[in-house]
Amino acid sequence: MRNNIPGLFLIALFSVACTSSPEEVKFQRYRVAGERLYATHCVACHMADGSGFKKLYPPLTGHDFLTEQFEKTLCTIRFGSNDSLTINNVQYTLPMPDLKLTNLETAEIATFIYNSWGLEKGLIGVNEVAEITKGCE
Amino acid sequence: MISSKNLSSIVSIALFLFLFAAIISCSEKKESGHQRLPYLGRHDIVKNEKDGKISVDTVYHSIADFRFVNQDSAWITNETFEGKIYVADFFFTSCPDICPKMNTQMLRVYDSLREMKDLAFLSHTIDPVTDSVRVLKDFADRLGVSSSRWHFVTGEKEVLYKLGQVSYMASMADEGPGGLVHSGRFFLIDKERRIRGAYDGTDALEVNDLIRDIQRLAAEYEK
Repeated sequence: MRNNIPGLFLIALFSVACTSSPEEVKFQRYRVAGERLYATHCVACHMADGSGFKKLYPPLTGHDFLTEQFEKTLCTIRFGSNDSLTINNVQYTLPMPDLKLTNLETAEIATFIYNSWGLEKGLIGVNEVAEITKGCE
Repeated sequence: MISSKNLSSIVSIALFLFLFAAIISCSEKKESGHQRLPYLGRHDIVKNEKDGKISVDTVYHSIADFRFVNQDSAWITNETFEGKIYVADFFFTSCPDICPKMNTQMLRVYDSLREMKDLAFLSHTIDPVTDSVRVLKDFADRLGVSSSRWHFVTGEKEVLYKLGQVSYMASMADEGPGGLVHSGRFFLIDKERRIRGAYDGTDALEVNDLIRDIQRLAAEYEK
C-alpha cells in the first residue's frame, strides 16, 4: 500500500480535476485574471476591499449600483466616465479615467467584482461585454 | 614558529578585542543621540570676512518665495508656513494612477500627527486649468481635511512648474492632453524652508519613515 502513494495521489488528482466542469474552469480563469487586473488598475482608488476612499472614490460594495446599472458599470470600466453619480446619498464628481482596457480585460474585472463582496453573478464573458460596450455613450 | 594552539588563542583574543571595540563604539553613538536629518539639495559654501577673520558658512538649498491661492481663495506664501514644519507634494485632482495612493498616504500622515501644532501640509496642483479654487475646495472637503492645516494651492502653471522643478527638484512635465507626468514624492520642509527629506508618497514604508522623520525634526527644534 505504501508503494502506491504516487498512484493514489494521481487518482485523487484526477478525481478532483474531473469534477470541475468546463464552465467552472472558465469562470475561475476569468475571476482570477480579473482579481489581478483589479489589483493593478482599480485598487489605488477603490481599495482592495472595494470600500472606496472618503468622498472621492465611490465604494463598489454596500449599495445596488453594480446590480442595477450593469451596462453603465461595464461602460465605465471599459471607457472611463465623466459623469457624476450618486451612491448612498453621496455625489461623486471626479472623472474615472479611461484605463485603455480591452473587452476581455473588462469582462475579467467585471467577473471578479460581480462575484466578490457578497455578489454571485457568475461568468461575465467577453462576447457579452463586447456586445454591451458597443452601445456605450 | 607559532603553534596552531597559539594561533587559535591569538585569533580568539583578536576577535574578542574587535567585538569589544564594536560594542564600545556603538554605545558611544547611542549616547550622542540621533543624527540630524540631512539637508537635501545643492549647498553653497560662502566665505565671510569680518574683522580680518575669514569664516566659512554653508548655505543650504531652500524653497524660493512663492505666492499661490488655496482652496479658500486665501493667498498662501512662505509666511503662511513661518515657524512650521510642512510636507509638500505635487498632484492634480483627476490624476488616475499615483495620486490616489499619494492622497491616502498623505491623509495617513495628516491623521497620525493631528496633535502636532507646528505642522502643515501643502499640495500644489500641476493642472491649474482644471483644478480651480472651487475644484480644490470640493476635493479638500471630500477628503475631510481642514484648510487651515492642509492647503491645496493653484496658480500660474509656469510658476508652479518652476517652483516644483527648481526649488523641490521634483520632476514633472506636461506631455499634452491627459499626459501630465509627475513624481509622487513628499518633501519634508523645516522651519527655515530647507528640504530635510524626500519620500515616495506611493510607498507606505517610505511614508512611515516620513512620519518618523517629522517627529525627529520637531525634536531638533526642542533642543
